[in-house]
Amino acid sequence: MLAFKLALRNLLGAGLRTWLNVIVLSFSFVVIIWTKGILEGWDRQARADMVKWEIAAGHYWHQDYDPYDPLTLTDSHGPVPDDLITNINSYSIVPVLITQGTLYPMGRMLPVIIRGIEPRQKLLALPTMKLKESEGDVPAIIGSAMAENTKLREGDYVTLRWRDKNGTFDATEIRIAGIFETNVPTVDVGQIWLPIEKLREMMLLPEEATILITGTDFSNAPVLDHWIYKNQNSLLSDIEKIIKSKGAVGIIMWGILLMMAMLAVFDTQVLSIFRRQKEIGTYVALGMTRGQVVILFTIEGAMHSVLAAIVGAVYGIPLLTMQAIKGISIPLSSSDFGIAMAEKLYPVYSLGLITGTVLIVLMVTTIVSYWPSRKIAKLNPTEALRGRIQ
Amino acid sequence: MGSGKFTALNGIDLLFGEGEFAGIIGPSGSGKTTLLNIIGTLDSPSEGKAVILGQSVGNLSPGASAALRKSQLGFIFQTYNLFQVYSVFENVEFPLLLQGIETSKRRKMVLDALEWVGLTEKIGSRPAQLSGGESQRVAIARAMVKRPAIVLADEPTANLDAANSHHILQTMEKLNRELHTTFLFATHDEKVIGYVRRKVFLLDGKVAKDEIIEKN
Repeated sequence: MLAFKLALRNLLGAGLRTWLNVIVLSFSFVVIIWTKGILEGWDRQARADMVKWEIAAGHYWHQDYDPYDPLTLTDSHGPVPDDLITNINSYSIVPVLITQGTLYPMGRMLPVIIRGIEPRQKLLALPTMKLKESEGDVPAIIGSAMAENTKLREGDYVTLRWRDKNGTFDATEIRIAGIFETNVPTVDVGQIWLPIEKLREMMLLPEEATILITGTDFSNAPVLDHWIYKNQNSLLSDIEKIIKSKGAVGIIMWGILLMMAMLAVFDTQVLSIFRRQKEIGTYVALGMTRGQVVILFTIEGAMHSVLAAIVGAVYGIPLLTMQAIKGISIPLSSSDFGIAMAEKLYPVYSLGLITGTVLIVLMVTTIVSYWPSRKIAKLNPTEALRGRIQ
Repeated sequence: MGSGKFTALNGIDLLFGEGEFAGIIGPSGSGKTTLLNIIGTLDSPSEGKAVILGQSVGNLSPGASAALRKSQLGFIFQTYNLFQVYSVFENVEFPLLLQGIETSKRRKMVLDALEWVGLTEKIGSRPAQLSGGESQRVAIARAMVKRPAIVLADEPTANLDAANSHHILQTMEKLNRELHTTFLFATHDEKVIGYVRRKVFLLDGKVAKDEIIEKN
């Protein structure tokens, strides 16, 4: 207790020297929590958006389906399993037929993925109700990024070409029945959504599908021939890997900031031990053991981070709270990033993140404070009293 | 080049009693500071025996010697060695904090000590705001506040002018008489030599002369 009291007295007495270190360290606290909060918020938002727009509770994939290999699309479809017909009829499972095609907007040629979906589905946030066919045309919905890329607007007609199951090319005029805003590029960029029955007709694949989107988790359901079930976590694993890889930049920044803060403390400690030799000698002469002086200096160094946490809280809590409520505008569009990213990111600052960061910084500060302080234990007090560098 | 060994003290046989006001006198390098450091348990003799208040310095553990310094020994240094970031009050309070004395008693003891040296009006000042004489008086108060048995003063007047030197020497003499604290000075300053009642002359690490002065 005495060591804490003396350390605080020494720190506060040192004035500007202490506060400069504390302010630098408090920046590190706030920026570390801020960057981690953004990643956490991005992760949560991306997961929520992916679930809302693309994944739902899980998917059955046709055994040949590989979303990363468009060449597999020709063969990766099959009849909807009989076991699931009831679910499909009640829309608790939504079949999606996927194939390749070519769009010809404004005389350009654009390869696209054509997805057929049931217009009355409610598992995904896609505005598929707009796909209800009107007589004599083929309605389609596209995302805003796709619309911007193709310069298509609602009500426009555009030529779509595809190959049916026999390999025969065919083409038709489709009408853009709706344009939706989404943060999920995998349902937007290069994607065009048609009514599934229409696509089945165009492909000559009645009652077939490529994937089946489920409204509840079927992980424990019996295995179906030719269909593989992927639960929500499995479907989200890719995005988590991407966020983690993008988070590496954050970790580097985190490391740099932590190192800067630690250098400030380490530097102060090393300088203190050289500059305060007389003081160290005096402590010993007045009755402290060298071990007690080591503890005093270690606590003094570590207390920088305690003061920094308090100072950081003073300006960091209102600043970060405001950001968590109002969000941070992201200048890039989600398609530039390749994964779900909203125009506004809402950082998430969990109690675990804050206490974890404070504890890590406190621990590292204590270590870098102790490291140079160990030298005190080897100081000769009579030499230290004279202020001789040892 | 030598072996790196240097004999600072050799064949010293001295006994200081309670309430002495003694000077260890000699030129630079004569061993007076080394002797003071051994008495102060900051150093220990490589050979022989030094007994301080009944305890052999060489046999003391670091904790025991620190405890002895904390309770029984006061130090006054040539360069004052005040804590620059503390106020006068906090500097004088420091030895009492180490002893764990309670706040109200501590405050009274600090104020008493500052009164002895005539610095009660400077209680909130920082050492940088004090003159050399005032700083040394704070150092005396810090050494005396815990009522030690022995005060060790290493060249206490070396950085002071004549008037301030006499002032602090008179203060220490008064404390010695009133509290019966033993004062041991390491010095070659004539002003200090003029005040002490026992003069131990050191030369090349040996006692050249041990003289007791009768004063009224």
